[in-house]
Amino acid sequence: MSTRAHPPLEQGSTIEVLLFAVLRERAGWERRRVPLSPGICAAQLWQALGLGAGDLPSTVRVAVNQAFADPLQPLAAGDELAFLPPISGG
Amino acid sequence: MNLRIDLHCHAFEPHTCLQQWQGSLPDQPAAESMFLGRMRAAATDGTPLQALELEHYPGMTERQLHHLASDCCARHGVGSCLIQHRVGRVLPGEAIVLVAIGADRRGPAQRCCQELLEALKHDAPFWKREWRTDGTSAWLSGNTPL
Repeated sequence: MSTRAHPPLEQGSTIEVLLFAVLRERAGWERRRVPLSPGICAAQLWQALGLGAGDLPSTVRVAVNQAFADPLQPLAAGDELAFLPPISGG
Repeated sequence: MNLRIDLHCHAFEPHTCLQQWQGSLPDQPAAESMFLGRMRAAATDGTPLQALELEHYPGMTERQLHHLASDCCARHGVGSCLIQHRVGRVLPGEAIVLVAIGADRRGPAQRCCQELLEALKHDAPFWKREWRTDGTSAWLSGNTPL
Protein backbone atom coordinates (compact mmCIF):
# COMPACT_ATOMS: atom_id res chain seq x y z
CA MET A 1 0.00 0.00 0.00
CA SER A 2 1.36 3.38 -0.98
CA THR A 3 1.82 5.95 1.74
CA ARG A 4 2.54 8.71 -0.74
CA ALA A 5 0.43 11.83 -0.33
CA HIS A 6 -1.79 12.95 -3.16
CA PRO A 7 0.23 15.00 -5.66
CA PRO A 8 -0.68 18.68 -5.91
CA LEU A 9 -3.30 19.48 -8.52
CA GLU A 10 -1.75 20.47 -11.79
CA GLN A 11 -2.92 23.66 -13.42
CA GLY A 12 -4.26 21.64 -16.36
CA SER A 13 -6.87 19.93 -14.20
CA THR A 14 -8.04 23.01 -12.35
CA ILE A 15 -9.54 26.43 -12.91
CA GLU A 16 -8.93 29.69 -11.09
CA VAL A 17 -12.00 31.33 -9.50
CA LEU A 18 -12.04 35.06 -8.72
CA LEU A 19 -14.52 37.05 -6.65
CA PHE A 20 -14.91 40.83 -6.53
CA ALA A 21 -16.35 43.51 -4.26
CA VAL A 22 -19.37 42.38 -2.23
CA LEU A 23 -19.05 38.75 -3.40
CA ARG A 24 -15.44 38.60 -2.19
CA GLU A 25 -16.32 40.05 1.20
CA ARG A 26 -19.32 37.78 1.64
CA ALA A 27 -17.30 34.64 0.79
CA GLY A 28 -14.19 35.70 2.69
CA TRP A 29 -11.82 34.86 -0.15
CA GLU A 30 -10.67 36.51 -3.36
CA ARG A 31 -9.00 33.84 -5.49
CA ARG A 32 -9.11 30.07 -5.33
CA ARG A 33 -7.87 27.25 -7.55
CA VAL A 34 -10.46 24.48 -7.74
CA PRO A 35 -10.49 21.05 -9.39
CA LEU A 36 -12.32 20.92 -12.70
CA SER A 37 -15.13 18.38 -12.95
CA PRO A 38 -15.77 17.41 -16.58
CA GLY A 39 -18.54 19.48 -18.16
CA ILE A 40 -19.12 21.72 -15.15
CA CYS A 41 -20.27 25.30 -15.81
CA ALA A 42 -20.09 28.51 -13.80
CA ALA A 43 -23.68 28.25 -12.57
CA GLN A 44 -23.00 24.77 -11.14
CA LEU A 45 -19.72 25.89 -9.63
CA TRP A 46 -21.51 28.77 -7.89
CA GLN A 47 -23.54 26.21 -5.97
CA ALA A 48 -20.67 23.74 -5.49
CA LEU A 49 -18.57 26.46 -3.87
CA GLY A 50 -21.45 27.54 -1.63
CA LEU A 51 -21.31 31.11 -2.88
CA GLY A 52 -25.03 31.70 -2.41
CA ALA A 53 -28.12 30.12 -0.92
CA GLY A 54 -29.56 29.00 -4.26
CA ASP A 55 -29.04 29.36 -7.98
CA LEU A 56 -26.66 31.89 -9.47
CA PRO A 57 -28.56 35.20 -9.14
CA SER A 58 -29.45 36.98 -12.38
CA THR A 59 -27.64 40.07 -11.07
CA VAL A 60 -24.30 38.22 -10.91
CA ARG A 61 -22.48 38.10 -14.24
CA VAL A 62 -19.80 35.65 -15.24
CA ALA A 63 -16.50 36.24 -17.02
CA VAL A 64 -14.30 33.50 -18.43
CA ASN A 65 -10.73 34.44 -19.30
CA GLN A 66 -11.60 38.12 -18.78
CA ALA A 67 -14.56 38.25 -21.15
CA PHE A 68 -18.29 38.07 -20.34
CA ALA A 69 -19.55 34.52 -20.78
CA ASP A 70 -22.67 32.39 -20.58
CA PRO A 71 -22.95 30.91 -17.05
CA LEU A 72 -24.03 27.62 -18.60
CA GLN A 73 -20.98 27.35 -20.85
CA PRO A 74 -18.82 24.32 -19.91
CA LEU A 75 -15.51 25.38 -18.39
CA ALA A 76 -12.13 24.21 -19.66
CA ALA A 77 -8.94 23.34 -17.81
CA GLY A 78 -6.88 26.42 -17.02
CA ASP A 79 -9.81 28.85 -17.37
CA GLU A 80 -9.98 31.97 -15.22
CA LEU A 81 -13.56 32.26 -14.00
CA ALA A 82 -14.83 35.42 -12.30
CA PHE A 83 -18.17 36.07 -10.63
CA LEU A 84 -19.05 39.75 -11.06
CA PRO A 85 -21.55 41.51 -8.78
CA PRO A 86 -23.66 44.38 -10.22
CA ILE A 87 -21.38 46.80 -12.03
CA SER A 88 -21.24 50.50 -11.15
CA GLY A 89 -18.65 52.22 -13.31
CA GLY A 90 -18.23 55.77 -14.53
CA MET B 1 -9.06 55.27 -35.08
CA ASN B 2 -7.17 57.19 -32.42
CA LEU B 3 -7.97 55.61 -29.05
CA ARG B 4 -6.44 56.44 -25.68
CA ILE B 5 -7.47 54.72 -22.44
CA ASP B 6 -5.91 55.21 -19.00
CA LEU B 7 -6.76 54.06 -15.49
CA HIS B 8 -5.58 56.38 -12.72
CA CYS B 9 -4.74 55.12 -9.22
CA HIS B 10 -4.49 58.71 -7.97
CA ALA B 11 -6.39 61.93 -8.60
CA PHE B 12 -6.03 63.21 -12.16
CA GLU B 13 -6.62 66.66 -13.61
CA PRO B 14 -9.20 66.08 -16.37
CA HIS B 15 -8.61 69.33 -18.24
CA THR B 16 -4.87 68.67 -18.45
CA CYS B 17 -5.57 65.14 -19.76
CA LEU B 18 -8.00 66.56 -22.30
CA GLN B 19 -5.53 69.17 -23.46
CA GLN B 20 -2.73 66.61 -23.83
CA TRP B 21 -4.99 64.29 -25.78
CA GLN B 22 -6.14 67.10 -28.08
CA GLY B 23 -2.50 68.04 -28.69
CA SER B 24 -1.60 64.45 -29.57
CA LEU B 25 -4.18 64.10 -32.35
CA PRO B 26 -2.75 64.21 -35.87
CA ASP B 27 -5.68 66.34 -37.09
CA GLN B 28 -7.88 68.62 -35.04
CA PRO B 29 -11.45 67.27 -35.23
CA ALA B 30 -14.19 69.69 -36.32
CA ALA B 31 -16.44 68.51 -33.48
CA GLU B 32 -15.64 67.34 -29.98
CA SER B 33 -17.94 66.10 -27.25
CA MET B 34 -16.88 65.33 -23.70
CA PHE B 35 -18.29 64.16 -20.39
CA LEU B 36 -16.66 64.65 -17.02
CA GLY B 37 -18.01 62.86 -13.94
CA ARG B 38 -16.94 63.80 -10.42
CA MET B 39 -17.57 62.17 -7.06
CA ARG B 40 -20.65 63.45 -5.25
CA ALA B 41 -20.36 64.73 -1.69
CA ALA B 42 -23.56 62.91 -0.70
CA ALA B 43 -25.24 59.58 -1.46
CA THR B 44 -28.52 59.50 -3.38
CA ASP B 45 -30.41 59.52 -0.04
CA GLY B 46 -28.52 62.62 1.08
CA THR B 47 -26.11 60.89 3.47
CA PRO B 48 -22.79 62.80 3.53
CA LEU B 49 -19.92 60.84 2.00
CA GLN B 50 -16.29 60.78 2.99
CA ALA B 51 -14.92 58.82 0.03
CA LEU B 52 -15.68 56.41 -2.76
CA GLU B 53 -13.76 53.17 -3.23
CA LEU B 54 -13.51 52.10 -6.86
CA GLU B 55 -12.57 48.46 -7.35
CA HIS B 56 -12.02 46.91 -10.76
CA TYR B 57 -10.92 43.69 -12.47
CA PRO B 58 -7.35 44.35 -13.68
CA GLY B 59 -6.89 43.03 -17.18
CA MET B 60 -10.56 42.63 -18.00
CA THR B 61 -11.22 46.32 -17.33
CA GLU B 62 -8.69 47.45 -19.92
CA ARG B 63 -9.82 44.85 -22.45
CA GLN B 64 -13.48 45.67 -21.98
CA LEU B 65 -12.95 49.44 -22.21
CA HIS B 66 -11.00 48.93 -25.42
CA HIS B 67 -13.70 46.66 -26.82
CA LEU B 68 -16.56 49.02 -25.87
CA ALA B 69 -14.77 52.08 -27.24
CA SER B 70 -13.72 50.44 -30.52
CA ASP B 71 -17.21 49.09 -31.11
CA CYS B 72 -18.99 52.36 -30.26
CA CYS B 73 -16.61 54.54 -32.27
CA ALA B 74 -16.88 52.27 -35.32
CA ARG B 75 -20.68 52.33 -35.21
CA HIS B 76 -20.76 56.14 -35.06
CA GLY B 77 -17.89 56.61 -37.49
CA VAL B 78 -15.89 58.87 -35.19
CA GLY B 79 -12.14 59.33 -35.44
CA SER B 80 -10.81 59.74 -31.92
CA CYS B 81 -11.67 58.72 -28.38
CA LEU B 82 -10.30 59.38 -24.92
CA ILE B 83 -11.27 57.51 -21.73
CA GLN B 84 -9.75 58.37 -18.36
CA HIS B 85 -11.08 56.47 -15.34
CA ARG B 86 -10.18 56.50 -11.65
CA VAL B 87 -9.68 53.44 -9.48
CA GLY B 88 -8.91 53.27 -5.76
CA ARG B 89 -10.00 55.76 -3.12
CA VAL B 90 -11.72 58.84 -4.57
CA LEU B 91 -12.57 61.97 -2.60
CA PRO B 92 -15.60 64.25 -3.10
CA GLY B 93 -15.12 66.56 -6.05
CA GLU B 94 -12.39 64.47 -7.65
CA ALA B 95 -12.82 63.34 -11.23
CA ILE B 96 -13.99 59.75 -11.68
CA VAL B 97 -14.41 59.52 -15.42
CA LEU B 98 -13.61 61.57 -18.51
CA VAL B 99 -14.85 60.55 -21.95
CA ALA B 100 -14.07 62.66 -25.01
CA ILE B 101 -14.91 62.01 -28.65
CA GLY B 102 -13.58 63.73 -31.74
CA ALA B 103 -15.55 63.56 -35.00
CA ASP B 104 -16.38 65.46 -38.18
CA ARG B 105 -19.84 66.47 -36.96
CA ARG B 106 -21.54 67.21 -33.64
CA GLY B 107 -24.19 64.49 -34.00
CA PRO B 108 -21.88 61.48 -34.09
CA ALA B 109 -19.59 63.09 -31.47
CA GLN B 110 -22.41 63.66 -28.97
CA ARG B 111 -24.19 60.37 -29.58
CA CYS B 112 -20.98 58.34 -29.35
CA CYS B 113 -19.92 60.11 -26.15
CA GLN B 114 -23.23 59.44 -24.42
CA GLU B 115 -23.48 55.87 -25.64
CA LEU B 116 -19.92 55.01 -24.66
CA LEU B 117 -20.39 56.52 -21.22
CA GLU B 118 -23.50 54.41 -20.61
CA ALA B 119 -21.72 51.33 -21.95
CA LEU B 120 -18.77 51.69 -19.60
CA LYS B 121 -21.07 52.40 -16.64
CA HIS B 122 -22.86 49.10 -17.19
CA ASP B 123 -20.40 46.82 -18.97
CA ALA B 124 -16.91 47.59 -17.68
CA PRO B 125 -16.01 45.73 -14.46
CA PHE B 126 -15.94 48.55 -11.91
CA TRP B 127 -17.54 48.48 -8.46
CA LYS B 128 -18.21 51.45 -6.19
CA ARG B 129 -18.31 51.40 -2.42
CA GLU B 130 -19.52 54.50 -0.62
CA TRP B 131 -17.78 55.41 2.63
CA ARG B 132 -19.96 57.58 4.83
CA THR B 133 -18.70 60.18 7.24
CA ASP B 134 -19.74 57.99 10.20
CA GLY B 135 -17.25 55.31 9.07
CA THR B 136 -19.79 52.85 7.68
CA SER B 137 -19.78 51.76 4.05
CA ALA B 138 -21.88 50.01 1.42
CA TRP B 139 -21.26 48.58 -2.05
CA LEU B 140 -23.52 50.12 -4.67
CA SER B 141 -25.80 47.73 -6.50
CA GLY B 142 -26.10 49.80 -9.66
CA ASN B 143 -25.72 53.21 -11.27
CA THR B 144 -27.41 56.51 -10.54
CA PRO B 145 -30.38 57.26 -12.86
CA LEU B 146 -29.63 58.87 -16.20
